[in-house]
Amino acid sequence: MKRKSIWLVLSLIVLLVVSGCGNKSTPTSSDPGASGDVKTVNIGYTGPLSGGGALFGKDVTEGLDLAVDEINAKGLMVNGEKYRINLIKLDDQYMPDKAATNARRLRTEFETPVIFVPHSGGAFALQQFNETDEFLIMAYTSEGKVAKTGNKLTVQMTTPYSLYPEVYSKKVMDKFGKKLALIPTSSQYGKDWSEAMIPAWEKLGGTIVANSPVDYNKEVDFNTYVSKALAANPDVLFVGGPSQPTAMVIKQARQLGFKGGFILMDQAKVEQMEGVIPLTDLEGAVCLTPVYLYDSPGAKPFVERFKAKYNGKVPAWESSKNYDNMMLLAKGIEKAGNVTDAAKILEGMRAVTPFNDPTITAHIPGIAEGGGSMTPGTGIMIENGQYGKQFSIPNPADTTKK
Amino acid sequence: MDLLIQQIFNGFTLGSIYCLVALGLTLIYGIMQVPNFAHGHLYMVGGYVTFFMMTLYGINYWLSAIIAGVVLAVLGILLERIVFNPMRNSPSTNKFIAAVGAMMFLEAAARVLWGSDFRSIPAIYDNVVMIGGVRLTEQRLIIIAGAVILMVALYVFLKHTLIGSTIEAMAQNRDGASLVGIDVNRVAMLTFAVASILASAAASLSGPIFLVYPAMGSLIIMKVFVIIVIGGMGSIPGAVLGSFILGMTESLGATYISSDYKDVIAFAILVLILSLRPSGLFAKGGH
Repeated sequence: MKRKSIWLVLSLIVLLVVSGCGNKSTPTSSDPGASGDVKTVNIGYTGPLSGGGALFGKDVTEGLDLAVDEINAKGLMVNGEKYRINLIKLDDQYMPDKAATNARRLRTEFETPVIFVPHSGGAFALQQFNETDEFLIMAYTSEGKVAKTGNKLTVQMTTPYSLYPEVYSKKVMDKFGKKLALIPTSSQYGKDWSEAMIPAWEKLGGTIVANSPVDYNKEVDFNTYVSKALAANPDVLFVGGPSQPTAMVIKQARQLGFKGGFILMDQAKVEQMEGVIPLTDLEGAVCLTPVYLYDSPGAKPFVERFKAKYNGKVPAWESSKNYDNMMLLAKGIEKAGNVTDAAKILEGMRAVTPFNDPTITAHIPGIAEGGGSMTPGTGIMIENGQYGKQFSIPNPADTTKK
Repeated sequence: MDLLIQQIFNGFTLGSIYCLVALGLTLIYGIMQVPNFAHGHLYMVGGYVTFFMMTLYGINYWLSAIIAGVVLAVLGILLERIVFNPMRNSPSTNKFIAAVGAMMFLEAAARVLWGSDFRSIPAIYDNVVMIGGVRLTEQRLIIIAGAVILMVALYVFLKHTLIGSTIEAMAQNRDGASLVGIDVNRVAMLTFAVASILASAAASLSGPIFLVYPAMGSLIIMKVFVIIVIGGMGSIPGAVLGSFILGMTESLGATYISSDYKDVIAFAILVLILSLRPSGLFAKGGH
């Protein structure tokens, strides 16, 4: 009896100590009754909040939350009535089937006219029934195919990766040489990216000397794959998956004696890699421009607002693109004068483009046929231990410039 | 040729990490007949404790690793007391569910307390050593050496100390051990403490070259379960051999067959071994 109570006390103490360690802040988006005559419009999110993709999901929702806070501070004016956005987040652990279940739940239980989904697998799953269930998919994915399914209620929120291979290849090939080895993440997205990469590299006269895909989310050690790729003596490595594991791949390549350049898949964000490895390890890498260096009037103020809200955390494109598109959505809802009809909301969004609001980080020229992104690509090369000059890659889907 | 040697070293590094975690898992299984699914998550917590000791308090790497070992020993004992001890007379399904519950609890707790971010333990031994055309970082050599030292220490502890031999006695025959006066509760706690220390050591050793994040436990537990099934549930030599078989299969299979089919190769070997020896390489009779 006595021994039992000792254990109880001990475990209580440990629990108290442990729970005191972290900075607990449970974000609850709903605070009903803020003001009597403010109505609520529910917006859905299904994406990873736990499991291997949890950090990615957090980056996405932090961008969305910041936008929602700013929108609600002013209030959304729809047909003269004031609304606030209530963002409802469900966890799908990066799995398309769970995303589909979540989306049905969001639609039936919370009547969300719009659902954000930050992965191509989920977007494809939702496209199977979103037209009949009448909700708009806001897809944060660089997979160009989501805009080519003929779905009428999809918006792709970021530049398709098909823009990058040729331009990035040319940059590194000129500087380092023609032999490329691939160590991409083995997800569907990684495979598709590699398939776009290989012909682009060969078209420029280069050769592929090795291809060893590895699951960046599931593997604990990358040395095996890096050793294998380096055994073929490449001049350039094509790497990419989630940022932090990508940084480890690069670090191990340097430790194994690799001196050449890197092409980074757009999933890997260099600003998130800076915390893991020194910039000198990234010498000769060509990659997406970090948001905080991005050449637009809204980018730097956004980074500052983001850092102020999230304890100095530096945002990457996951956060900024979701922020920008939530802002576009809010403007679209106001323009449409409708908070329930997905098709009308999409029409409203199209009507407010080109979207140049001073708060957003990257100009949104328009929404292409099929919902495709018109936003140009970005790129930057790391040279002599620092960021070089950033460059822009025109998006052929952008019809507004002709 | 250099590539082959390099990959054998890589296989050894991986095998060493797997081995430390697998030894703990197999010890617990041997004593308690519990598949402790939360074991990978003890490894994860060990990584976090080492990380915070070094970054928040600026404590030296080796001392941080020792502190992590102590903290994990306490956590292991608490896990045994709170989760497994009350269920000692329940059917094995209940223990199984309790272990899964403990696993989910630890991962969710890590997420709430420390966030989902990837952390990396500052690497002090990051220099590259050339051994006969093979490039290795000092940390990788430390992993291999550390694992060997801990394995020897575990062997000595189990075979040549009185307190350690109570674990062995209980693994061999639970009733017999209680008849000669071995305190079952104490041995259970001791086993969890030792197993948690091994998991924590694995995390402290590998932390500087891997990343520390809440899901890291789920990744390793899958592999370690395969290992102890290959080796024979509850068998210590089986866990050691199984770890190196898996480590080598992964590195050599990915190099000379296909990295896409690496897991297929590992599972093919599992199927092969189980079809030849259905209870694993070093199965103990009588369970």
